[in-house]
Amino acid sequence: MSVRRRDLIALSFAGTAVFFGVWWLVASNKHVNALILPDPVKVIATFVYLTSHTFANYTIQQHLGSSLLRFTYGFVLAAVIGVPLGLAMGWLRWLDYIVSPLFEAVRFVAPIAWVPFAVLWFGTGIGGPVLIIFAGAFPPCLVNAYRGARHVDRNLIEAAQTLGASDRTIIFQVLLPAALPSIVAGLRISAGLGWQSLIGAELIVVSAGIGYLMVQGQSNLDTAIVMSGMIAIGLVGVAIDVALRQLERLVGGTRGMA
Amino acid sequence: MIKRLIAVLAVAAIFGNVYAARAATPLRPINISYQPTNYWALPFVLATKKGWWQKVGLQPKFSTFPAGAPQVAAAASGSWDVGGMGSVPAVLGAARYGILTIGITNDESATNALMVNGSKAAEYEKNPQAMKGQRILLTANSTGEYAVVACLKKYGLTESDVTPVDMGQAQILSALSGGSANLGALWAPNTYTFEEKLHGKLLCSGRDAGAMIPGSLVARAAYAKEHPDMVARFLAVYEHSIRWEKAHPAEAQKELVEADKEGGTEISPASAKAEMDLRPIYDLSQQLKIMSGSPSSVDRWFAGIIAFMKGKGSLQTVPKPQEFITAKYMKMVQDDPKLRAFANSSSD
Amino acid sequence: MKNRARLVTGIITLLAVCAMWYLTTQATHLISTGRFPSPADVYTAARQISHPPGYANATIWQHIVQSLELVVLGFLVAAATGVPLGIAMGLSPRFEAFVNPVFLMIRPVPPLAWIPLAVVWFGLSAAAQIFVVWFAAFVPALINAYTGVRTVDRTLIEAARIHGASRRRLLTDVIVPGALPFIFTGLRLSLQASWTTLIAAQLVGSIAGLGHVLIVASIDIYPGMIFYGMLWVAILGAAMTFVLAQTERLAMPWHQ
Repeated sequence: MSVRRRDLIALSFAGTAVFFGVWWLVASNKHVNALILPDPVKVIATFVYLTSHTFANYTIQQHLGSSLLRFTYGFVLAAVIGVPLGLAMGWLRWLDYIVSPLFEAVRFVAPIAWVPFAVLWFGTGIGGPVLIIFAGAFPPCLVNAYRGARHVDRNLIEAAQTLGASDRTIIFQVLLPAALPSIVAGLRISAGLGWQSLIGAELIVVSAGIGYLMVQGQSNLDTAIVMSGMIAIGLVGVAIDVALRQLERLVGGTRGMA
Repeated sequence: MIKRLIAVLAVAAIFGNVYAARAATPLRPINISYQPTNYWALPFVLATKKGWWQKVGLQPKFSTFPAGAPQVAAAASGSWDVGGMGSVPAVLGAARYGILTIGITNDESATNALMVNGSKAAEYEKNPQAMKGQRILLTANSTGEYAVVACLKKYGLTESDVTPVDMGQAQILSALSGGSANLGALWAPNTYTFEEKLHGKLLCSGRDAGAMIPGSLVARAAYAKEHPDMVARFLAVYEHSIRWEKAHPAEAQKELVEADKEGGTEISPASAKAEMDLRPIYDLSQQLKIMSGSPSSVDRWFAGIIAFMKGKGSLQTVPKPQEFITAKYMKMVQDDPKLRAFANSSSD
Repeated sequence: MKNRARLVTGIITLLAVCAMWYLTTQATHLISTGRFPSPADVYTAARQISHPPGYANATIWQHIVQSLELVVLGFLVAAATGVPLGIAMGLSPRFEAFVNPVFLMIRPVPPLAWIPLAVVWFGLSAAAQIFVVWFAAFVPALINAYTGVRTVDRTLIEAARIHGASRRRLLTDVIVPGALPFIFTGLRLSLQASWTTLIAAQLVGSIAGLGHVLIVASIDIYPGMIFYGMLWVAILGAAMTFVLAQTERLAMPWHQ
């Protein structure tokens, strides 16, 4: 058994080595312009350089901070509106019938398709990117809360009803706790989608942020900066996902105990 | 006990702040928009760096844009009050949202150009007709597009003889570097980036094609109506910066490199010098001169741009130059002795 | 009975929203048409783009066809590469160990972040967009195929083995059908990601397609056209999801 384990780890290293090796070879080829594909070392060096020197006015961490702020606003807004609404729709049939068609109509509009209107409505205010992130993050919040509410054990609900619980009580004190795993799973998906949509929004019109860093890198024909931006985005995306996965584990665990 | 102490401290802090605020000179807020790496934006950057806004009692907040069209779109929500942009988006703004042109930032005819990949330069220079059917990358509703159309006219071609493709400047540079297109409409400083890093060549600028391409100082009509004095102060600061640039060319060159770097584009000192040599800027008396007369020089310059946009179909209602170009606020600076003195001085 | 009530309420709600839209923009000008188009504006835009020469270099039908071609192509390539790769990773721990680290490194980068690079590498051709779309769709397809394979009931596999099933038959008759629900979930996510990413890719660097219509309309500050473009993005997105759902029903009649 342990031999196999060692094999697997060796294979992992091999895979990574092959990847970087091929990248290095292609980038070192005389015929490949450094503008088209910088070698891995240059990209990492650029990334490190950007942490202590400013480009387009800010260091890479500051750009990340700017992006994260927008992301947080959009994501929190989506969760705060989506989750209660989803739960309520799961419980109140009339609400479901009214909101669902509107939701379905708008849901298929790719978040980034909102950019032209976002620019028109919010100018350079934070509202623009927040709208885009909201558009991406909202559907999973709503859908997962809704599904979670619909699948709650009938017995729990009936028990609450016999005790004379109001609609409000049922939604917040019965459905919410029972649907929590589904809700948190939805939050994780929602965060991922929101973060991705943010980058799209920033490619178009802002004056700080990781997407902006990448566009400016393009303007400078500095592909290493563009790739540094991609790395930064990836790292933060992973961090957000890991954090929410932990939350999911916590919530799932509690449920088991309850 | 603790709670009471905190309450007392809080009240004291509030009063302290109010008192401090009262004691300081009140600066009035104003929202200024511009495009960061453009030469005509240098006066804004200088003024911020050297504290000139505060000298006329302004506390500016800035918003930056990659091009004129989104800047105009942002005007719809009142995101900014005054600023600078290319003349082409200024016309679009006039037609859509009543944006006024209150001055001229610079003459950028020489730095809006049709650029070509080095390998193809000789071919197109010898035989411009070879451009027929070729893809030309350009940013729509911009001075860059206007330059290209003027250049095509010079070669006896129209926009329908070629395949125009609409993209942002950054994407144009990427696409040119990848070689999937050879012709692009760029404006400075992207022209320098293209020349220095990709060995591109300038095929034809607006100036080469005989087209006058000014840049506009702009203000939202509603804002200008309500706060004409603020607009005048804004102009006074801009003109002061212009004077300073003219009086300190070597330093201005350094500042330009620095400002562009902060905006995200690294240009060489040689390119900075080219910027200053190729793009005339106007001090207060010159502004008044080009905006005087009926029609004024500025009116005539914009007539060409309006015709261009009408021909494109971008404008359904066509504004007349006199409707959105106004020397009123420059005149206010001239008539106010304090503002005039500041606008005409080149002190630090 | 329930479904009819839902349908009727749905129609009424949408009609009410349309009525409000008309009232606030066209009838009373509460919302200025500079910021949100009135129904009349949208109609004008629709007419302009429906007849040659159309808008942004082509008619709406040409833009739609271009977008659909690319998304279907990207989606199919992603499915054809992601699903087999995911199955292979699920079946072979060795293969998984080899490929996984690289996959984990590349995966978190949002597809849209690849656009600047794609424009440099592939230029303005369809290849750039297909690359970005492929990347977006590949990931969910792979992950779900992998999960599907890993969650196939062990007892089923053992039972088949005991009955002497060859490796090939094991794959085609037990594992793949067992993983099919997950695979289809993956494909559904892939399709949504494909469509979203294609529009984004077209917004940033393309010469035709619905995304391109949106960005040109944005720069022209033409709210009616922006709205019309978004409408088609929504309609086609819904249509594709519907088609996929029907395919799922056909492929897995036993499921639900």
